[in-house]
Amino acid sequence: MKDCALITVPSDPKYLSVIRSVTVTMGGLSNMTDSVIEDVKLAVDEACANVIKHAYRGDTRQKIVVKFKLRKKGFEVIIEDSGIKARPELIAGRDLEEVRPGGLGIHFIKRTFDVFQFDEKKTKGNRLRLIRYLGGGNEDRNLGQ
Amino acid sequence: MKIEILDSKGLKVMSVTGDIDMYSSPDLRKELMQLVRKKVSPLLVDFRGVSYIDSSGIATFVEGLKNMMTYGGKLRLIGIPEKIMEIFCFAKLDRVFEIYGTFDDACNN
Repeated sequence: MKDCALITVPSDPKYLSVIRSVTVTMGGLSNMTDSVIEDVKLAVDEACANVIKHAYRGDTRQKIVVKFKLRKKGFEVIIEDSGIKARPELIAGRDLEEVRPGGLGIHFIKRTFDVFQFDEKKTKGNRLRLIRYLGGGNEDRNLGQ
Repeated sequence: MKIEILDSKGLKVMSVTGDIDMYSSPDLRKELMQLVRKKVSPLLVDFRGVSYIDSSGIATFVEGLKNMMTYGGKLRLIGIPEKIMEIFCFAKLDRVFEIYGTFDDACNN
């Protein structure tokens, strides 16, 4: 069996802590530093929060499936829902120079993962694929700057 | 997440511990806005016990600050852990909030 783990949780914000815990555990099994694991935890949390907010519009009775894959090339997370289809071309964070509530989550995801890609083949709902490449100096990049 | 509202040296201090996320930030917002409605200033927020914050938590503090600015209120954040400070810096919010290392520093300004 490949190095992977899969969890299914209700689309209720109270389960985001469960997703974060599994993310940290799986991150610990990869070669990522603690600092990078924290960034990955935030990014996965934000992606799942977006599913609850946008794909399910706050409906807590649906489900979110999160799959973690430990690959030689990197740490891969696949997040699936059966909600409203995302329109990737419309997904953009706010200008960081603009001070207002909201619009930061997508920045936290994209600064951490090298790949942010919706699977166009999925007909109902969404399948978001996130990959953080390991090695090649990526572990040392300072995400705080 | 737990929130305590304390009076210290005549100042209101909101002490937050635990994770601030999409689940807990509505409670944070409720507590913060109650103080904002009372036009508390300065309001000190003790971050030393905060283990995690997401964009919804940050948005709550940005909203609180913007509301406080309408009456000239001061929102001072104290003891932000390094990893959380990195998030504030990334979002360029370290330029917007008054951030202090210690309670005494926040009181003396």
